[in-house]
Amino acid sequence: METPILLHRISRIDPTCLADYEAEGGFKALRRALMLRPERIVEMVKASGLVGRGGAAFPTGVKWEGAARQPVAPKYVVCNADESEPGTFKDRVLMEGDPFAIVEAMTICGYAIGAEKGYIYVRGEYPLAYTRLAHAVEEARKAGYLGASILGSDFSFDIELRRGAGAYVCGEETALFESIEGKRGQPRQKPPFPTEAGLFGKPTVINNVETFANIPWIVRNGPEWFRSIGPAGAPGPKLFCVSGAVNRPGVYEAPMSITLRELIERAGGVKDGRRIQAVLVGGAAGAFVGPDALDVEMSFEGLRQVGAPLGSGAVMVIDDRADMWEVLLRIARFFAHESCGKCYPCQLGTQRQWEILQRMRQGQGQPGDRARLEDLWATMIDASICGLGQTAGSAIRSGLALMGG
Amino acid sequence: MRITIDGQTIDVAPETTILEAAEQLGIHIPRLCYHPHLTANALCRLCVVEWEGARTLVPACVARVREGAVIHTNSERVRRARRTILELLYSAVDLSEAPELAAYAEELGVDPERFAGGERREFPVFDDNAFYVRDYNKCVLCWRCVQACADDLQFTYALTLSGRGFHTRVDTFFHAPMPETTCVFCGNCVAVCPTDALEAKVEFLVEEGVPVREAIWQRRHGEG
Amino acid sequence: MPEPMPLVARDAIADIITRWAPHGRAGLLPCLQEVQEITGWLNPEVCKQVSDGLRVPLADIYGVISFYSLLYDRPVGQVIIRVCDDVPCYLNGSQDVLAALEARLDIRAGETTPDGKVTLEVHPCLGRCERAPFVMVNEEEHGPVTPDNVSALIPDT
Ligand SMILES: Cc1cc2nc3c(=O)[nH]c(=O)nc-3n(C[C@H](O)[C@H](O)[C@H](O)COP(=O)(O)O)c2cc1C
Ligand code: SF4
Ligand code: FES
Repeated sequence: METPILLHRISRIDPTCLADYEAEGGFKALRRALMLRPERIVEMVKASGLVGRGGAAFPTGVKWEGAARQPVAPKYVVCNADESEPGTFKDRVLMEGDPFAIVEAMTICGYAIGAEKGYIYVRGEYPLAYTRLAHAVEEARKAGYLGASILGSDFSFDIELRRGAGAYVCGEETALFESIEGKRGQPRQKPPFPTEAGLFGKPTVINNVETFANIPWIVRNGPEWFRSIGPAGAPGPKLFCVSGAVNRPGVYEAPMSITLRELIERAGGVKDGRRIQAVLVGGAAGAFVGPDALDVEMSFEGLRQVGAPLGSGAVMVIDDRADMWEVLLRIARFFAHESCGKCYPCQLGTQRQWEILQRMRQGQGQPGDRARLEDLWATMIDASICGLGQTAGSAIRSGLALMGG
Repeated sequence: MRITIDGQTIDVAPETTILEAAEQLGIHIPRLCYHPHLTANALCRLCVVEWEGARTLVPACVARVREGAVIHTNSERVRRARRTILELLYSAVDLSEAPELAAYAEELGVDPERFAGGERREFPVFDDNAFYVRDYNKCVLCWRCVQACADDLQFTYALTLSGRGFHTRVDTFFHAPMPETTCVFCGNCVAVCPTDALEAKVEFLVEEGVPVREAIWQRRHGEG
Repeated sequence: MPEPMPLVARDAIADIITRWAPHGRAGLLPCLQEVQEITGWLNPEVCKQVSDGLRVPLADIYGVISFYSLLYDRPVGQVIIRVCDDVPCYLNGSQDVLAALEARLDIRAGETTPDGKVTLEVHPCLGRCERAPFVMVNEEEHGPVTPDNVSALIPDT
């Protein structure tokens, strides 16, 4: 087993102790970054090949470059810590166990793009993560890692925390901005993209917690080191959240060359020696794969070949005892409950999808229900404003296909 | 900028929306939430069109043209989305007083009963002031009234959206009756409503079978 | 009849509003969250104070409260029990845990006990799937929970 990178400090240091973090290499990357030109940092992140870990897999360096180029002030750095994708809990583990790393990474980002202010939007149901981050921000400020003239440079940066209030859709980046601005968390039509007009209408870099957690490592060890980890198209370490019917559910770090089977084995294998019925990859917004797909490589390309997205890195193992209908109904209920209601395809489609599934489950499906679902899926994918509606049918469709429907 | 819409080429100014460009060619793109004097939010998605090279359909009311864009406003992919959206809408809302939608439905081959049988958005009719009646059974959530009441026209802020998802509705502070809100009864909301969910009191009474003169009298002197 | 609010609580609410007022609308969410920690739910009276302090229209405040599931526009218990019933918790028996809680409290999910003290909710994935089935009691974390040990989750109120 490789030595962990992102999980390196988890459970080894006291997450409330700045000295512990420093003793484990903490803030060395920020010191190094401040000696380089900001453009150099952007180049390094680009060269690393790091792509976002929040679900959309967008190249992080390209995003930073886009914001850095904007001749506008102020700019913002936002950390998306709203983690609400079902079956996903990696960001929580990072925030609770290694909060200073996120503070350090965001500060580096601020320097690279020319922002002086950052926000961390933490899921409301994560009180411990919030407390740990708030403490880390305060300690960092006291030690001169945040605030005016950081470490004697002419760069100033500070971070504010916000708590989510119970809405999955606020993980969508533009809904998250609306929420920080004190509004209902309804996504905006894109373009404009956040790098051009994000938080308060200003150029903004928004990244996932895990994406940020990679940054100090890239700055310290260089992009070539980063690219040497994992398969060619998917560099860097990755966190996977393995849950469901396994013996040791939890967060596992691995290069994306790992196969689904190996990942499940690392999580102790299937509970009670049962057989696998299906695995939901990527969360509720992801897709089911069958037991015949266990040798798939957990990279973007590998998963694409079996019709699943890597998404948030969630892997939910469903054993042969579980009732797939109950699983699908929960996913359908989730989307109906979490749709923001802004655009019609999702506002109406998620409700009807849930209702049709309920009647199919009760053996009261109507002729034409399958065609109704097909039209709903096509329309939600093609015409919804945001990723919530666009993915609301994905797991249901793949789940029904596995069940022979 | 030179673009192609449904096979016709046209030069338009930068910042032109697809909807406007199509209009210049005499092509009508269906729309519901869009209103020329209010902020466009691309909610209803009836105006979606196919833009060659784009992953999904794009809403013509807000998407701005780019040089060389090739756009199809009435392909089968587009029609399928529009038809499904209208069928969904019929299954949730009373569209009996929305003739433009009926015309679109006819043209697209919509079956208004296709998604019937599920939950509908049903409310009592709110008849709480002398000027207009609110019948949210007919509300399509186009946001026009909310915006007209707020920054788009009146700056009165009596209305909001409440709830979310299917259970989103137009509302007031804790469902307060209109006279208890900041409403100044300017009538702008009634004027922009596309489905008669908001209706002037006189018209409402006449539709209910009250003779016109009687209705005007009632509206002046309160009911009964 | 609701009990009148103690003076200390009123002062605390006024302090919260004064602190967030300079942020204007951008202070709305944290302000409502902090106020709710004191008042339990966001009643029309406190909403009016927030509206005056932050200069946000009343209707908009209601729109925001009704959007977010952790903000309440109706009275709820001092203790809110949130049972995760999403896929990983379901696969590990969340239904049995929920049934045990419903039986023990003699209410259904979504309801509050007749004495107004405890509210029981089914919640989408709480992000502790490695401890499924998982239950949150206010900010306390419990998991894995079994149907037999649900009594320990209910505080003596
Ligand atoms: C409905 C929805 C929910 C999302 N939730 C999250 C989330 O909880 N955390 C996250 O990092 N990204 C989430 N995203 C993705 C974000 O919109 C955005 O792509 C991400 O924050 C960008 O960061 P990254 O490039 O580092 O991944 C969500 C997207 C959608 C459509
Ligand atoms: S797709 Fe759903 S969540 Fe996204 S904007 Fe539309 S209604 Fe809201
Ligand atoms: S499914 Fe219960 S915590 Fe995630």
